[in-house]
Amino acid sequence: MTDSLFHQPALAEVLLTVLLGVPLVTAFAVLFMPRQWPAAIRRLSVSALVINFVLSLWLLGGDYTGAEFQFLEKVSWIESLGISYKVGVDGISLWLVLLTTLLTPIALYASWTSIQTKVKEYALAFLLLEVGMIGAFVSLDLFLFYIFWELMLVPMYLIIGVWGGKDRVYAAVKFFIYTMAGSLLMLVAILYVATTYKTLAGQYSFDLEQLHRVVLPFEVQLWLFAAFALAFAIKVPMFPFHTWLPDAHVQAPTGGSVILAAVLLKLGIYGFIRFAIPLFPLATQYVGPSVAALGVIGIIYGAYCAWVQKDVKKLVAYSSVSHMGFVVLGLFAMNTHGVSGSVLQMINHGVSTGALFILVGVIYERLHTRQLDSFGGLAKSMPWYTTVFVIVTMSSVGLPGTNGFVGEFMIMSGAFLSESFIGFGRWGRLLTLFAATGVILAAIYMLHVVLRMFWGPLSKPEHERLPDLTAREHLVLAPLLVLVFWIGLYPNTFLKRTEPAVQTFLSDFNTKWLACRQNDAERLLRPDPAVPAGGPAQPKQGSPSKQGSPSQQGSPSKQGSGTAKPSSAPSRPVAQAGVPGPAADTKGDPR
Amino acid sequence: MLEQIFDNFAVERMLLWIVLLPLAGAVVNGLFGRFADRQMVGLVGVGTIGLSFFLAVVAFLRLLDMQPEGDAEFVPLQYSFYEWFSIHLRGRAVPIDIAFVFDALSGVMTLVVTGIGLLIHIYSLGYMSHDRSFARFFAYLNLFSASMLVLVLAGNLPVMFIGWEGVGLCSYLLIGFWYETPAYAAAGRKAFVVNRIGDFGVLIGMFILVAVAGSFDFASINHSSYSGAFTLAGWEAGTLATVACLFIFLGCTGKSAQIPLYVWLPDAMAGPTPVSALIHAATMVTAGVYLCCRLSPVFVQSPVAMSVVAVVGTLTALVAATIAVAQREMKKILAYSTVSQLGFMFAAVGVGAFAAGFFHVFTHAFFKACLFLGAGSVMHAVGAHGDADIFKLGGLRSILPRTHITFLLSCCAIAGVPMFSGFFSKDEILLGAAQLGVASDAAFLSPSIGWFVFGGLAIAATLTAFYMFRLYFLTFTGEYRSAGASDGHGSEAHGSGEHGYDASPHESPASMTGPLVVLGVGAVCVGWLGLPHLLPFTGAHLPHVWGEWLKPALAHVEFTPAGGDPLTAVNIAFIAGVSAMAVGIGLAYSMYANKSSDPIASGAPASLYSFLQDKWRVDELYAAVVLRPVKGLARICAWIDQTFVDVLLTKVTSGLVTLSSFILTRAQTGVMHAYGFVMALGVAGLMLWFWSPHPDVMPVVKGQNVEFTAGRGLGYEYRWDLNADGTFEVPSGEHASSTFGSKTFGSETSASHRYTPDDFRGFILVAAAILGEDIEIPLSEHAVVLDPEVLGPDWQVSGDAALPPAVRVEGNEVVIRPNSAAVYARGKLVSEKEVRLPAGSRLRIGQVPMRIAPVVQATLEVRNAFGNVARETVDVTIDVAAPAGARAEVVR
Repeated sequence: MTDSLFHQPALAEVLLTVLLGVPLVTAFAVLFMPRQWPAAIRRLSVSALVINFVLSLWLLGGDYTGAEFQFLEKVSWIESLGISYKVGVDGISLWLVLLTTLLTPIALYASWTSIQTKVKEYALAFLLLEVGMIGAFVSLDLFLFYIFWELMLVPMYLIIGVWGGKDRVYAAVKFFIYTMAGSLLMLVAILYVATTYKTLAGQYSFDLEQLHRVVLPFEVQLWLFAAFALAFAIKVPMFPFHTWLPDAHVQAPTGGSVILAAVLLKLGIYGFIRFAIPLFPLATQYVGPSVAALGVIGIIYGAYCAWVQKDVKKLVAYSSVSHMGFVVLGLFAMNTHGVSGSVLQMINHGVSTGALFILVGVIYERLHTRQLDSFGGLAKSMPWYTTVFVIVTMSSVGLPGTNGFVGEFMIMSGAFLSESFIGFGRWGRLLTLFAATGVILAAIYMLHVVLRMFWGPLSKPEHERLPDLTAREHLVLAPLLVLVFWIGLYPNTFLKRTEPAVQTFLSDFNTKWLACRQNDAERLLRPDPAVPAGGPAQPKQGSPSKQGSPSQQGSPSKQGSGTAKPSSAPSRPVAQAGVPGPAADTKGDPR
Repeated sequence: MLEQIFDNFAVERMLLWIVLLPLAGAVVNGLFGRFADRQMVGLVGVGTIGLSFFLAVVAFLRLLDMQPEGDAEFVPLQYSFYEWFSIHLRGRAVPIDIAFVFDALSGVMTLVVTGIGLLIHIYSLGYMSHDRSFARFFAYLNLFSASMLVLVLAGNLPVMFIGWEGVGLCSYLLIGFWYETPAYAAAGRKAFVVNRIGDFGVLIGMFILVAVAGSFDFASINHSSYSGAFTLAGWEAGTLATVACLFIFLGCTGKSAQIPLYVWLPDAMAGPTPVSALIHAATMVTAGVYLCCRLSPVFVQSPVAMSVVAVVGTLTALVAATIAVAQREMKKILAYSTVSQLGFMFAAVGVGAFAAGFFHVFTHAFFKACLFLGAGSVMHAVGAHGDADIFKLGGLRSILPRTHITFLLSCCAIAGVPMFSGFFSKDEILLGAAQLGVASDAAFLSPSIGWFVFGGLAIAATLTAFYMFRLYFLTFTGEYRSAGASDGHGSEAHGSGEHGYDASPHESPASMTGPLVVLGVGAVCVGWLGLPHLLPFTGAHLPHVWGEWLKPALAHVEFTPAGGDPLTAVNIAFIAGVSAMAVGIGLAYSMYANKSSDPIASGAPASLYSFLQDKWRVDELYAAVVLRPVKGLARICAWIDQTFVDVLLTKVTSGLVTLSSFILTRAQTGVMHAYGFVMALGVAGLMLWFWSPHPDVMPVVKGQNVEFTAGRGLGYEYRWDLNADGTFEVPSGEHASSTFGSKTFGSETSASHRYTPDDFRGFILVAAAILGEDIEIPLSEHAVVLDPEVLGPDWQVSGDAALPPAVRVEGNEVVIRPNSAAVYARGKLVSEKEVRLPAGSRLRIGQVPMRIAPVVQATLEVRNAFGNVARETVDVTIDVAAPAGARAEVVR
């Protein structure tokens, strides 16, 4: 039953385009709706986003056991420059897309009542934001990625700048310029890689798979990695590039904060996984431990900063810096559970911090303040609110049984047990030791919030009659609470789909790293005989499957559907002048 | 047969239900309790834990039943629910299953948790009957029971950690149960944060253990400890065990309130009294001891860790006992008493007497729970809120007869009156320490540790007897000192009771005294399970049920007494235990029986007394040394963030932009001739670039043919010297050639040439890279020694004298001296000193295929429209086949 449901070939072949199209088309529809109909606009946009979420659940039907991207679509766009509309998901981006499609409607619905001005534009911004976010997560073409990456920026800038708090303009401009500065350098790096490809292969390509083949000298890799890493580090945000975040969060409306924390920050880490690390393995090896150390500094520094904040939202913002530090640490541990833990922790952070921002928004709507001093004893008047808040707090603190624990545990064990050759060895242990103190600090600052907000006597007698969570707020928070326990108790739903992709990521990295280690002269790796040749030279070349996916023989030349349709695509002979290629034998994880 | 299978299945599944039932109770009461009436809530709360107790008893009976006769291996009950998640270690998945193990150790502990838990649930029905948050209380209590059962039953460390942190959460919620009082809420937070410091240790310890043992399962970890896995090459034996155990022990000091992390437990008395009895006396705080016992095979690998545990335990026992002597509140005294008794348990673990330590966990659960519930009953009776000042009580013997008798029995037990449960367990601990003390020097622990522990515990035992009977006499004997106080009745939950208590106290309801009686009987009797193996003086042997039962679950440590007589230690321990009890009770009787004042307060030096009463001022010390600096650091971080990091990255960068824009705007002067000058510079630069031509030769190798392409430009014309003979040719194309001076140029941009051996200018050894592009090694007349990195693994013939091969050019051929490398040419291993190979030959060194490629040279001259000529010479490695019939010439 579910099989037939999931394997609708027609839908599957264009599913990602549909996911991008639904919010885009809705945005157009909203554009032509009269602004005097705010209720209709809200209803239409939220239901479109919910439908998009339901559609995105189809993504789960893909086969994530192998190394191939699922739901792959490729349409040539600017042929002369080798730019194509190429999208697909693997076990890593799958969850980020689902996180996006889940949280965007939640964020919009959470601000159902709090946004009363310019409702039309607000809905429009959210719809476009979702297009940008999904697009960035599914792009397999660097040019396309860059477009979506920048597309996200504009709606977010408007959300902060128009519907934000008192200093919204400052925060919005800061957010914009920070992010823009990073991404421009990234653009330069993208162009460098693409032109190098041109000199080596004779034609342009922005296809990630093709650009993967480019080997660059160590120094060049360092510079390009730095350019990519800066863009991503700002987005994550990593210490010391994080100072835009507290401002943006404090000023943004609830819905904006939710999206910012839950999804936008993830794009930084995702960028590392998808682009910066695979493209520049030597640089990754060289600076990886330092980046991980920055992550650990972020964990501790963010936690300390969070502890003394007076504004709850600012506190949660700094806690994001701390939590994302864990994600960075796990990623640069470069082993299966470290990276899988990072991916899981991205979802966890999206769920927990998203919920925290919603909760802060709830109390802000009632009391119009976020100052810790002005709360106190709310447990008496708002028991459900308190219960939910404490559960989310525990998830954020990483209590076993909630989602936070599984992620942090995998990350820390990954860093501690890292035997990776990227020079992590003993450093990993030391870094883990420091990172683990973050667990203590998280308890300190989060329980500080709970103590100040909920325990003790009521700070003001009029708080006695504060309304508890409304039905709408329950509805908004319920899916997040379900996820808190689902991931906490049965993370394998998620990990089983992620781990193969992570293993592919690691083995590809190792392969390319070895090739670079042997000779880092600027050159093009021969297309892996097991990788689809792609490229303009053989646009319709069949693609035998990569190693590690015995389930699939190959995918048809169109590669459109995520379904496994075995085909007899001709396997390309390894015709390399004079050199018998041992690559096929030695490929794989050398560890 | 069929029945047996069914039986097995059912019993193992039971382990799951033992945990799930209280959890379900917690969920039901937590979600719907506030809409249900109290009977329903009570039924769910007590019923689930009661069922859980019943299942635990059944499982325990089954466990007894299952054990084979004789010395065969102990068979535990095991149940694996599902795979939680997994990590990867050394290329292998290490699954983490939600798995439960019911063996000798966890079986007993499960009975304690569910049994005493059940009694305390029943007690709470009465105790909390007036509380507004009745349902919330039972939800928390059930959640605690479930977490504690997970902790106890867990088959591996991460699952244990669910319970470990789960009980911490419940402790936090229950300490702060009356959250409206800020001090209580703060106490809850303190408990959680201090425990988190310990949890940090457990986490790291867990990682070390898995790194060493390759598994999280207790069974595998313990098993690997016997095979020397914890010994690090080049380090003292058991170094890794030391590190792991010390981290784990940090966690234990948090959970089980030992120095330095004990400070949360006395504050934790802010919770309702049943909570103090269940969580902060009987079960949760003993989790640390339990964990040490679980990992006892690892602990005994490390004398250092054992010594640390022993010393910390002894010091804690002593320090807490001295503090308890000077306290005025019932629950405070009991709290410090708990800390002290936990110290006894750790001291036992530290000297290797694991069974004795765990025996004390067991007996302590009964008498301390009874004492706390008794204190609760007293407070309930007199309407004391939070805690009761014993100097305002007195004479309750006749008013609260049942509470009094059970309290007295438990006091006797904890003081170590012979034949009471505490006597036996404390005696075992002292015996363990004495045995180490009299052990020969060859013991793996130093005997002086044994004497230190023995002495410390003897003093602590004396103090225990003293302060417990001080508490007893002041509470139950003499006159009731609040008789004249204003009335004002209420339970702990909403009583006021700041100055004196209810003038007319009353005995508690049956739901409260019932559990008291059961626990009181337990406090007397449970010790009989662990009758001493050897009787003092007589040397008669008794069956040691407890020790025999736990033997398969614990590491076995035995010390040979130096004198050879095992009775020495037994006698010493017995004398010390009994005299400590007698001295302690005697002193207390003479000072406090029927008295109402504190002779210590007046008799002892004031500074010492207040020092003890202020709990050694450790809280103040921590506040000054840890808390304030850390908080200060946090403030500094926040300050740096706002004033430095943010400024650096926003103000400074925006300042730089402003500055550069300022400078650039200066360039926009609007002065025409300045613009003209800059433009002229630009034009000149362009001219310069165009003035000389740019050849930009691109060779494309096709076997022996090479096709060259030149760059294009304004009026470019070309001539080629493809074979490097010094004469230039102009390729004939459709375009006319032109002559310039003596030189002829053509406009054809490409040329190709087929190279023969005569054109070769040099050779290159091309090593096929494992991946990607090949590695090219230029060769010359001087021998090049190949880089082992290029050769990959296994290039040596023999492992030792690993000299890589040397390659040089001689005439038109390449000479390879294999040295110690395995060089294969023409399909066979070259065994000679040197081998001579022509261009195009294929060979293999180790695993790496290579070929000898010739290098040719070509030169291009380009002339542009200005008549300037540029020349570029390129070296091209070409690919030729080895000449047919060419044989490898061997130089001998």
